[in-house]
Amino acid sequence: MTAEHSAATYGEVVERDVVIVGGGPAGLSAAARLASAGLAVTILDEQPELGGQYYRRPAPAVARQWGDHRPEGGRLIAQVRAAGAECRTGHLVWGVEDDGRTLLASDDAEHPVRLRARYLVLATGAFERVFPFPGWQLPGVTTPGFAQHLAASDHTTVGDRVVLAGSGPFLLPVACSLIELGVSVAGIAEAGRPYRPSLRALGTLGHPARLRELASYAARLARARVPIWQETVVLRADGRDRVSSVTLAAAARPARPVRTVEVDALCVGYGFRPQTDLARMLGCQVRVDVASGDAVPVTGAAGRASRADVYVVGEAAGIGGVHAAKARGLAAAHDILTREGRSAVPVSEARRMMSARRRLARFTALTDSLYPGPAALLATLAPALPADTVVCRCEAVRAEEIRTTAAGSADGDLNATKAWTRAGMGPCQGRECGFAVAGLVRSVMPGRGVGDGESRVEIFPSRLPVRPVPLATLLELAGPESQKGDA
Amino acid sequence: MSTRTADAVIVGAGVLGASVASHLARSGHRVLVLERGAPGREGSGTTAGNLHMQAVHTKRPGQAVPLDSARFLPLQRAASDRWETLEEELETSVEVRRTGGFTIAETEEQYQELRDKHGWEAAAGIHTEILDGDAARAALPLLGPTVAAATWCDLDGYANPLKVTPAYLDSATRHGGRTVAFAPVRRITRNGDGWRVVAGRGAAERVVDTPVVVDVAGPWLGEIAAMAGITLRMTPVAIQMHATVRSSATMSHLVQHIGEGLSVKQVTAGNLLIGGGWPALSMDLAGRSDASLDSLVGNVALAVRVLPFIRDLRLLRMWAGPLAATPDEMPVIGEVPGAPGFYVAGGTYAFTFAPLWGETLRCLIEGKPPPVDVSDLGPGRLMEQWSQEDNGPEQENHQDRRSKRC
Ligand SMILES: Cc1cc2nc3c(=O)[nH]c(=O)nc-3n(C[C@H](O)[C@H](O)[C@H](O)COP(=O)(O)OP(=O)(O)OC[C@H]3O[C@@H](n4cnc5c(N)ncnc54)[C@H](O)[C@@H]3O)c2cc1C
Ligand SMILES: Cc1cc2nc3c(=O)[nH]c(=O)nc-3n(C[C@H](O)[C@H](O)[C@H](O)COP(=O)(O)OP(=O)(O)OC[C@H]3O[C@@H](n4cnc5c(N)ncnc54)[C@H](O)[C@@H]3O)c2cc1C
Repeated sequence: MTAEHSAATYGEVVERDVVIVGGGPAGLSAAARLASAGLAVTILDEQPELGGQYYRRPAPAVARQWGDHRPEGGRLIAQVRAAGAECRTGHLVWGVEDDGRTLLASDDAEHPVRLRARYLVLATGAFERVFPFPGWQLPGVTTPGFAQHLAASDHTTVGDRVVLAGSGPFLLPVACSLIELGVSVAGIAEAGRPYRPSLRALGTLGHPARLRELASYAARLARARVPIWQETVVLRADGRDRVSSVTLAAAARPARPVRTVEVDALCVGYGFRPQTDLARMLGCQVRVDVASGDAVPVTGAAGRASRADVYVVGEAAGIGGVHAAKARGLAAAHDILTREGRSAVPVSEARRMMSARRRLARFTALTDSLYPGPAALLATLAPALPADTVVCRCEAVRAEEIRTTAAGSADGDLNATKAWTRAGMGPCQGRECGFAVAGLVRSVMPGRGVGDGESRVEIFPSRLPVRPVPLATLLELAGPESQKGDA
Repeated sequence: MSTRTADAVIVGAGVLGASVASHLARSGHRVLVLERGAPGREGSGTTAGNLHMQAVHTKRPGQAVPLDSARFLPLQRAASDRWETLEEELETSVEVRRTGGFTIAETEEQYQELRDKHGWEAAAGIHTEILDGDAARAALPLLGPTVAAATWCDLDGYANPLKVTPAYLDSATRHGGRTVAFAPVRRITRNGDGWRVVAGRGAAERVVDTPVVVDVAGPWLGEIAAMAGITLRMTPVAIQMHATVRSSATMSHLVQHIGEGLSVKQVTAGNLLIGGGWPALSMDLAGRSDASLDSLVGNVALAVRVLPFIRDLRLLRMWAGPLAATPDEMPVIGEVPGAPGFYVAGGTYAFTFAPLWGETLRCLIEGKPPPVDVSDLGPGRLMEQWSQEDNGPEQENHQDRRSKRC
């Protein structure tokens, strides 16, 4: 071995017209359209099956016994395959090479895969927005997304008697899924006051399908006599080996208990945060959304990012629900086809799509306005969080340490607070605690809003790898010589 | 905005700025530290945090000349002593660990370099031991089969950089010093016998009159000096670090390589930190430098060859940070000739030297003899005129996007 080891990455590169990361509704919609127009398309997803969150495939045994809860997802996946798109499931895309465009993935055996395309479509979805409270580490405390996931793919439940809490429209369908499985939903605690004067008011807004869908969930919950406690937040969860009760408080006075409910499972979530690591790694511009405090990629109408060869679609581009995700995926596909001179879309269809997207955007804005924005939630929750609550589970960092550091030497800087407390430095890289840490930092710096000041960006930076990768995978990239070296 | 006064204005809250602030404050001076961003987030927050006591011999990318180890080692010796007492001085733990380290060789040529290095170390009063490959593996069974020889030095160590700078700043604060973050220094002018320093803008603007300015702005050292009309030749570069997830295996020693860029250690939290001066993809002095995948892959391949157990770990994250080098690779410290009251300190391995340089600067400022002779390390040598083809102090990025180690 010479002293001058060359580090150039090694291995074949998969060259395609389009590479799509994420096989949820957005990525699938784009893939189906692009592949059927004859482009060489590869779609990757880290999950063992395509479908993403909304079209998550039920386990085979579950499908046989209970059927497919979302057959249109199965049809869309079949359409993608039939159109000739190469589907790589079990592939995590974790980084970008030094050329700024070759994607690095690892396959289901964690061997590296290198991919390059003329167009990259990032459809990486969202992850759940969580906020800690005393007792959130107890077994039986999960997120609504996890409960939904268990219900849809395994037909199992998180518990027998469940309280759902947090904020946002997603709590309603999850409650309905649980009820369908025979779970007793003891109540829904919603931090805002969206259902005023009552749930039924939603239906009278006379809005398109989605709002009717929401109203129908509401109606089902009313029939099942599930109480909805509005302007209510979780104060703490108690239990010995597992959660046995949850104590709720009024959002206006989040430290004063108003009600304790016996449960064996508790699902708390505050909606979703766009998953933008890859977009940021590719150098796409992001802006900090003032309402949510989240990083959202700067995109044009068709999802084109600040880099012309990159599109960001679906929830990764901003939370908007499944219909918006599909519409965004399609719009990106059409834009690519137009740039390729292959557009077969008649003007009338393009217009229809455009106006559908506008309607969906209006709908999203409307539902968003019903619920408290994440920044407003933080202003309620962060100051009330008890000092000894663990905020970063990976590194066991408590609220007090974060507040003291943020108010002291870190001077209100999120990343300095992270560095000096280790909050956000563990395996999840702050996906779980990032929202809460940002809230705590902000809460000790009164008068300073989201995104104030150039250096005080309110998000953790995106760094390779997206998720921890085996060093053995990196060794394969270093070439056969380094493989030999340690044999 | 009214004008304030201070006994000393320190520009830059990296580890050097924090150390000198603490030393001056403890000695009764009213110090003001002005920092562009949050404190300790540049070189001092991205550093590997190694306390290098045996000769550092590897070359960074773009490094034109080797370090003069014979001159450097006595300084390392003096720095070493100060780390021994640091936690007591700062009244807090900064995770100082003096568990010793190996510098390994894989070739006969490198073995010879170990022997040379051993000679200089002995001369400087730094005890090291030379081991052949088997003896090295007996001492540290985690070492791989390619290791042909190693030197052992029980002074080598580590301190948690994320704790050292804040602890120094806290100590300064306890003794009446002040740190103002998010206050970029914009102007430095002569003001009678002293200096007038202007930082921040608009409502946040501050004007401070002071007899003493300490420029410890790391990679921006030249930029700050230029504000005072002083031209200093520095070469900022960005290098990168790699962290694995926590490992259940334990390795308490620092492991370095004599011929290639490698330093590996396990930090208190259990993660392994892998570095060795591999070049970042780009240097961004206005924001965050990007780390390079090629450097990652090269550094990891080398690390696994020397320490095969690492192969079973996962990479958790990587990052890049900037540091300031001098053209002769030696530290720079002292008062600027012709600019009384304007002091600078910087250069490579400033983390290791932070306790020593803080004390040295205090002595120089107080007109007392410093703990080590630094008369040949002053900024005068960086002030000569440079030729036209040279880009001079304009902090040019010497790294091409795809540059390799050299
Ligand atoms: C846990 C959870 C449950 C949800 N359940 C519902 C529900 O029941 N009803 C509802 O209306 N909405 C639900 N949502 C909201 C839902 O995300 C959207 O409505 C819709 O699924 C968005 O589609 P998408 O294509 O943008 O993203 P997703 O459906 O989230 O798909 C993104 C896909 O990208 C993959 N991916 C991400 N990063 C990488 C990477 N680096 N490498 C490889 N693959 C990657 C993921 O594995 C995922 O399959 C849920 C969201 C979450 C997070
Ligand atoms: C990846 C890496 C690994 C390293 N490993 C080691 C090691 O193992 N051992 C070792 O001894 N050394 C190591 N070094 C070198 C060492 O860490 C640095 O030399 C040292 O931390 C520099 O400290 P500093 O205080 O001089 O500069 P910095 O920490 O860079 O601080 C300079 C400060 O000045 C501020 N500033 C800039 N402009 C202005 C302005 N206009 N106004 C106000 N403030 C300003 C900056 O924001 C910054 O905070 C490493 C460096 C890097 C990057």
